Amino acid sequence: MAKKVLCVDDDPAVVVAMETVVEESGYTPLTAPNGEEGLRKVRAEKPDLVILDVLMPKQSGIKMYRELKTDQELKQIPVVIHSGIARRTFLRSQEALTEFGDEPVAEPEEYLEKPVEPEEIAETLKRILG
Amino acid sequence: MDLRKAGFNHFVFLHVIKREEVALRRGVGYLKEEEVKLREMANVRFIDWAESLYEQGMEVGAYVSIGDPVNKIVDTAKEEDVHLIVTGRHRKTKLLELLACPEAIGVVRRAPVPVLVYKYMLPSGKINDKPFERPLFATDFSSASDRAISYLLQIKNVIGKLEIIHVVSETQLKDTSTLSVQRVRKEYRKKLERIRNMFMDAGLQADSHLYVGNLEEQVQKATEERGASMVVVGKTSKKTVKEDLLGSLPKKLVEESLLPVLLIPSEVDD
Repeated sequence: MAKKVLCVDDDPAVVVAMETVVEESGYTPLTAPNGEEGLRKVRAEKPDLVILDVLMPKQSGIKMYRELKTDQELKQIPVVIHSGIARRTFLRSQEALTEFGDEPVAEPEEYLEKPVEPEEIAETLKRILG
Repeated sequence: MDLRKAGFNHFVFLHVIKREEVALRRGVGYLKEEEVKLREMANVRFIDWAESLYEQGMEVGAYVSIGDPVNKIVDTAKEEDVHLIVTGRHRKTKLLELLACPEAIGVVRRAPVPVLVYKYMLPSGKINDKPFERPLFATDFSSASDRAISYLLQIKNVIGKLEIIHVVSETQLKDTSTLSVQRVRKEYRKKLERIRNMFMDAGLQADSHLYVGNLEEQVQKATEERGASMVVVGKTSKKTVKEDLLGSLPKKLVEESLLPVLLIPSEVDD
């Protein structure tokens, strides 16, 4: 059975592009438009990898990432951040939340700053999922 | 400003592209390229603002929508369950920069939560980057004003010093003896003092003042005399016939005040 990749992004154009790359790479694409819905899908579908945007309505990728990485059942799922937000900002935000008393979280498996070529995404998926 | 101190830790950015900016035009059709350009322009700004807030450990969301600005603002506020709407717009000329955008009036009328109409340019030409430094709260002792007191107490940690005023109309003092005028003055001063004490007891520096005359003029005068950084008023939840005919203080302030205006709706209609 093909491995499942969940793409969480509020931009429909990005979602369509991601679905294509994931499918062409031999995996099954799943999608969600924001962190809130993304987390629900992670719990229901247990994907093998999550591609996560950061700046989204309802719940950001920052919060969803933290929820994922502090959940004993879900923390092993690799996460690739795919965002226009700079990597250092993402890492600094996680540090700030830890300083406010939250649990420390590991860095994401990969951080891809938009825009990213489809080939780079395909290579990243292959490297992580095999 | 330490936004966390006031309990603000989740920000939602919304940019509304008006339909007419991208609408179907004869011989051109739907301006898809224009839509993409406007969306990306908004995203560039949002990413910049979001990065600064994320780095402080804040939660940030963003929407770029097409449609009627007032509807989109009110709908998004409901969708995201926000506690405060901040609206304002950069205008083309220096004079217009000082005034609120026309959409602000519509948002103020319909919003179920407090609205900060942010006019970031002071009459002096300087940027008003500390609106909560010295807010001036104009109370009429109504239930809307009571709600405003509760709200100001909730955000007391971001307020520098609060100036509280009440404006007595000249008609309330007409045809009365000196003693009666003094009684009116004493009565309102007592009411103001009670409110001031509520804020002082909560650890907020506050002062109270009584003014006499035309409501809008006196509020304006008070902002100048007290060096206010913002005006705060309560407002009834729905517009009334009276408001339409006479013009209410909130409407006047949104349209004409050169300072940011924070409008706090009452929970129930007065």
